[in-house]
Amino acid sequence: MRPPQDTVISRRWFLERMAWITTAAAGAEALVPRPVMGAERTSSYLREIPISINTRQQVGELTELTISETVDFLRRGVVSPEDLVRAHVDRIDRYDQFYRAYAGRPSLDALLASASSGTDGSYQPLKGVCLAPKDNFYTTDMLTEGGSLVFEGFQPHYDATAVASIRSAGGLIIGKAQMGNLAGGRAQVYGTTIPTTRNAWTPNDVNYSPAGSSSGTGTAVAARMAVAGLGTQTGGSVVGPGNAQGLTCIKPTFGRISLHGVIPLSYTRDHVGPMARNVMDAAILLQVLAHPDPNDPRTKGLPPAPNYVGSAAPTLGLNAPVRWPTRVGVFPGWSDPGDEGVARMRADFLRDLESMGNVQLVGEITLPEQWEELTSQPLGGSHGDPTAFFIEPLRRDVRLFGDRLPRFLNGMLQSADTYVKVQQARMLLLHRIQTQLFNQCDVVLTEGSGAFDGTGMPVLCMPIGFDTDPGSGMSVPRGVNLAAPPFGEERLFAVAAAWQARTDYHTVRPEDPVG
Amino acid sequence: MKEKTIHSPSDEELNVYIRTRYQLLGVDISVLPDSDPDAPMDQERLLENGRSILRQEVVAADFDIDPQFNLPVPHPAPFVAWTEEVEK
Repeated sequence: MRPPQDTVISRRWFLERMAWITTAAAGAEALVPRPVMGAERTSSYLREIPISINTRQQVGELTELTISETVDFLRRGVVSPEDLVRAHVDRIDRYDQFYRAYAGRPSLDALLASASSGTDGSYQPLKGVCLAPKDNFYTTDMLTEGGSLVFEGFQPHYDATAVASIRSAGGLIIGKAQMGNLAGGRAQVYGTTIPTTRNAWTPNDVNYSPAGSSSGTGTAVAARMAVAGLGTQTGGSVVGPGNAQGLTCIKPTFGRISLHGVIPLSYTRDHVGPMARNVMDAAILLQVLAHPDPNDPRTKGLPPAPNYVGSAAPTLGLNAPVRWPTRVGVFPGWSDPGDEGVARMRADFLRDLESMGNVQLVGEITLPEQWEELTSQPLGGSHGDPTAFFIEPLRRDVRLFGDRLPRFLNGMLQSADTYVKVQQARMLLLHRIQTQLFNQCDVVLTEGSGAFDGTGMPVLCMPIGFDTDPGSGMSVPRGVNLAAPPFGEERLFAVAAAWQARTDYHTVRPEDPVG
Repeated sequence: MKEKTIHSPSDEELNVYIRTRYQLLGVDISVLPDSDPDAPMDQERLLENGRSILRQEVVAADFDIDPQFNLPVPHPAPFVAWTEEVEK
């Protein structure tokens, strides 16, 4: 069997590559995006989306369908792209007054026109699939406001490469999802601290957070107002809402998905991440999006995207083992999070993991040298990063930044000495994670994602159970974060596929809002 | 040699530094309320954050890193990516 990509990548090569990105950030002019697209390429692996995982005998509610189920029913001619559009628009019209997941939407006519448009004969794996990108992806047909007064009324004149890739694959942008102010925190009324988007599991209780900053995408997908979506993550902003809303999401290796046309926060830590209802859908989206982009040098020079779809398909045979032998480690303290219910859930999860074929639990890992220093502020952060490209609005009126103002002014207080140290420390951490952490395991269960965001390593989240929220008394999902070495997406998908083949947490949907 | 005692800046001194730095770069924080917990942001919170950032500079300065741990720059990757002289 072909080995997963993380085992055939030179660690030295990835370290050098990230060093280049760090160096490039200091001379960021070279990274100024150009309004030209180049997203025609669609991987041949998408032709292999396994329809066998569709266990539905009948279509049922159209908004319940996952991407792979949609592909199956479309291939069989059971549904049409127009049916899918109408079903999603109806649901949004009925329920988004409660969820408030969307910042902007195209007209029904425009969506139907896109859904029924012909193709040049190329295969369109996402034909008719309704998707919700966060409102920091540039779109030519909708405003892009970044959840902030800073970008209020901003109409881009080109699509972000990720959006262009989705459209090129036949996908439909059903709306732009609300987000935390300039990619921080939960979605709020612009310029205030009044929350907007609700968690799909507690639609009648605004106090239970949908998490951020990809709040709207998380809610739209969990509430069946989009089949899947795109978030961005600089510090946990994909896996946070993913875990809060029972989704399966992948924050891939740095550079895997183009950031061209995404409002930046940090040139060296930003990532685009697919947010979906199961691992196959996350893999399909990554397959569509993982390609070099002439407008984003960070995407170039990477090994070709492997067969993510194949790695996310469950294996056959008794006990459906993980596709490749995988050592699973646990961060110190992960099993004892301070909440009895969550601790029990995690213990059950570990026990189930251990019972899966090809999994070797190695227990708590030993942290690399100087872990605390290298992962905490200031060395493990990115204090100074956002200031450089927000100077103009900072000078215009600091009130535009609302509660996020400090984050955007920090770069004015950080010395060059500190900035160099932060970049050096990041390289040191990257080196040590590869040589002192992932020498103990192939996948690690981690509470937060910060160390892996800063070093550009892949993180996947998925639901592992439900718990009662003490505030609302409602049942809410709980998830886990799994991190892997660079280009370990296949490995993460394989573990998640084996887990989801034997569990149904990812198939449970929240109830509709009342009112 | 006589040992020098270096004065650690007070909050007030750091506040002056922070305000001056913002002013130098053309950023006016006086439009924010002085102190209003109900406002999205006020000067008091902003300055508190600024002082914290500045004091973290000491942590970074104290971090002892091998000066030979240089950032390796691979050849010719970055140049290839930008100039497209070589396309794989």
